[in-house]
Amino acid sequence: MRNAVIFLLQVLFLIAIFSASNFIVKYTNLFIPGNVLGMILLFVSLTLGIVKLNYIEKAAEYLIKHLALFFIPYAVGIMTYGDLIKTSGWKLLVMIVGSTIIGLIITSGMTQYLSSKEKQKHVQSDSQ
Amino acid sequence: MFSLTLSNIIITILIYFGARLLYKHVSNPFTTPVLLATIVIIIILIIADINYEQYAPAKDWITYFLGPGTVALAVPMYKNRVVIKENAVQVLGSLTVGSIATIASAVYISKLLNLSEMIQATSAVKAVTIPVALEVVTLIGGDPSLAAVLVITAGIFGAAFGPLCLTLCKIHDPISRGLGMGTVSHGIGTSQAVVEGKLQGAVSSVAMGAAAILTSIVLPLIYNIFN
Repeated sequence: MRNAVIFLLQVLFLIAIFSASNFIVKYTNLFIPGNVLGMILLFVSLTLGIVKLNYIEKAAEYLIKHLALFFIPYAVGIMTYGDLIKTSGWKLLVMIVGSTIIGLIITSGMTQYLSSKEKQKHVQSDSQ
Repeated sequence: MFSLTLSNIIITILIYFGARLLYKHVSNPFTTPVLLATIVIIIILIIADINYEQYAPAKDWITYFLGPGTVALAVPMYKNRVVIKENAVQVLGSLTVGSIATIASAVYISKLLNLSEMIQATSAVKAVTIPVALEVVTLIGGDPSLAAVLVITAGIFGAAFGPLCLTLCKIHDPISRGLGMGTVSHGIGTSQAVVEGKLQGAVSSVAMGAAAILTSIVLPLIYNIFN
């Protein structure tokens, strides 16, 4: 029972940060969405020690574990685009698949290449 | 009306947990929970003759948690801050190049396939998180509701097939994998990167946020160069 209450309070704490961020975005016309601002604010608060990890950790881990669930209803919305899918669905799919693979391989490939070079440099400087 | 909403919420949650359970035993791209659950729920709604408008109240309840869920991504970011800081140069460089490559290739492929200018513009935002995509798309002459479909499809494709593509390309480093997933497949990619590992999830969250910020600033400025 006690754990359930703590868990709920933690969820409410995250909701409070999200709502506050939405409020800030709305009244300052900031170019980033409320959820991303909330993520940044929470990260900064954790780093500065304003928020302690144990205030939110349980709820945060649970919400992240099931993040996919919260996207599913949006994905179900694709069912309303039957006509578009019939007329140009395959073209859109080719574009999405092609561009996603290109972006993914370039981003991840470049990171791995750069960090392996970095490691080599370390190895060389260690051996000198 | 309320009971329909409640049953839609329960169906969505049950199908999701079912898909998750199946994925634990049979993990391949087609059993990725977000892909499989979406397909099953669409089929159920069609069979039960429930349209998307009737499903909308259930959608609003469930998707509300995306807000606090995204905020919560700060926790893995914080726990992995040392590793991310050590790799800050690679992370930022690759993320910028990767985001531009994603945008340019999407617009270019749309052009090659003779898709309309409106669709070309909309394709440019397909890699970023939904709220940002919807804001930016109108600035460059695209359509918000099409943007939502493209963003979701890019997210699901990346979540389901991204890890396989990376493995085929011999990219095994967790930081590199997480970074790619978050850059091209935003929150949906991140939800799958989290399953792969905590570090992947943390880096993917950073990539998702940074790609969103980068796109919202840069895309309206550079869109005319590509076109």
